[in-house]
Amino acid sequence: MLVLGIETSCDETAVGVVEDRLTLRANVIASQTELHAPFGGVVPEVAARAHLDQLLPTIDTALVQGGVHLSDIDAIAVTHGPGLVGALLVGVSAAKGLALAHDVPLLGVNHLRAHVEVAQLEFGDLDPPLVALVVSGGHTSIVVMDADGTFRQLGSTIDDAAGEAFDKIARFIGLPFPGGPEIDKLARDGDPTAFDFPRAMLHDGTYDLSLSGLKTAVIRDLRRMEAEGVEPDLADVAASFQEAIVDVQLIKTLRAAADEGLDQVVLAGGVAANSRLRARFTAECESNGQRLIVPSIPLCTDNGAMVAASGANLLAAGVTADVDLDVDPSLALTG
Amino acid sequence: MLVLSLETSTARTSVALVDQDRVLASASLGRPREHGRFLAPAIRFCLEQAAVDVDRIHGVAVGLGPGLFTGLRVGIATAQTFAAARHLPTVGLCGLDVLAFRVRYTRRPICTTIDARRGELFWAFYRSSPGGVQREAEPTVGRAEELAAEIEAHGDDVLIVGDGTLSYRDVLAETGAQLAGREAAWPDAVDLAELALPRFVREETVRPERLRPIYLRQADVRIGWEQRGRLRGGVPNEAAG
Ligand SMILES: [Zn+2]
Repeated sequence: MLVLGIETSCDETAVGVVEDRLTLRANVIASQTELHAPFGGVVPEVAARAHLDQLLPTIDTALVQGGVHLSDIDAIAVTHGPGLVGALLVGVSAAKGLALAHDVPLLGVNHLRAHVEVAQLEFGDLDPPLVALVVSGGHTSIVVMDADGTFRQLGSTIDDAAGEAFDKIARFIGLPFPGGPEIDKLARDGDPTAFDFPRAMLHDGTYDLSLSGLKTAVIRDLRRMEAEGVEPDLADVAASFQEAIVDVQLIKTLRAAADEGLDQVVLAGGVAANSRLRARFTAECESNGQRLIVPSIPLCTDNGAMVAASGANLLAAGVTADVDLDVDPSLALTG
Repeated sequence: MLVLSLETSTARTSVALVDQDRVLASASLGRPREHGRFLAPAIRFCLEQAAVDVDRIHGVAVGLGPGLFTGLRVGIATAQTFAAARHLPTVGLCGLDVLAFRVRYTRRPICTTIDARRGELFWAFYRSSPGGVQREAEPTVGRAEELAAEIEAHGDDVLIVGDGTLSYRDVLAETGAQLAGREAAWPDAVDLAELALPRFVREETVRPERLRPIYLRQADVRIGWEQRGRLRGGVPNEAAG
């Protein structure tokens, strides 16, 4: 069974093809990073326009890469939320056009779920229960995939998503968009203990996170130093800021795993490409005897293969969508 | 020659299946912001009710706007993938032209309008010509007062159509022009198909990936932090252009 997956929820126009749920056949991404860079963040209307410009060529490229024809595809999967409404609508409309043209099932995929399920393309079928940290520019959530494959959200950021915090601090210290990879790079030469930035809500008994106080503290310290005429070591700032973000996510995620008695941890989403986050999770899970599952970076950032993989699971479970499938910008991760 | 026609650039969504001069099936919805949910079921409805197999469709016509951003992208994205998947040619048309085509038998100069939201509208002027209407200049976006001044410059026998006549009735009526009613308020997929048919016949078509919306406004470049916040709940708002 071949499933084509379409992803347009944010700023990547992406199409993937997956065969028999576990085999990656194609994964093509038309990135819009350069379009949004001048604005220092994702501009929804710019994203939606670019999705429409790039989607059909991206579908074509994915079919070529996968060595398949559209008429071979058994079902069309598409992200229908969460995400930017105008961006989502382009992908969902395109998916419906394909599904109608070849009379194949339409599969409505939850973007957050897909970030977790994509791991099956590299690690084989996931063996839940497990805990997952889904972290990107738009979301920072700690979720549990139960033994029956259903998802439960334990907690999420109450303000900024991690990727958003990276972007904002990067912009403040003059680094280009997207900020995550830039801070990651800069932080390698810095001392993560140079600044003692706050780790909010660490001991509040919930699995929620708050990153906006951290962001404010970094900006306040930079302004204070500027007023005092002190030249800050930006590598130290980046490393300390990154360490605080990593700490909060690591501690909360592993506490969730401990509380739920789970020994498998999945790292998912674009920010899972952060080298410090990967290293700290790797070390900590190893010392705890937990299995850490982290997809390779092309499958962590938004991509079409994850949509195809998640869609293939839906198809196998007989859960198809009707062509009146709606987009849901704030689609919840449940069930 | 069988044409599937999609028009989603205004508050009204419509679909038609037209065989030469015969409308085999059509469907429309007047609820705004429902383009994404309504369009595909409406296409399926038309195909099923007309008992037409997708193999028999010769081409896909689609409205390119100007109009509501999200709506017109719904139509174009659907038209593009449907046509590409069936290896069909496409024709994209301006919604203002479709509105003028609707009232092509008038002898008056025609002004077509589409509500652009945010206190503005899109418009274009037409003169009747043999076999249809001829647009005088490129479509424009502006405030109703600016349009009223242009209408007055055209003389007092202008016929105004489109939903601008509903949103800006008072300002436009003051010009002394005649305002068409609701029956010509929104571009319709049946008119779109009729206007597109000769182009399919003459093979003045484009490949689906060449279809592009008519954007008369630059993208609103406010950064999406607030909209990203919507990932955690909130209500989207719709822009036009
Ligand atoms: Zn994502």
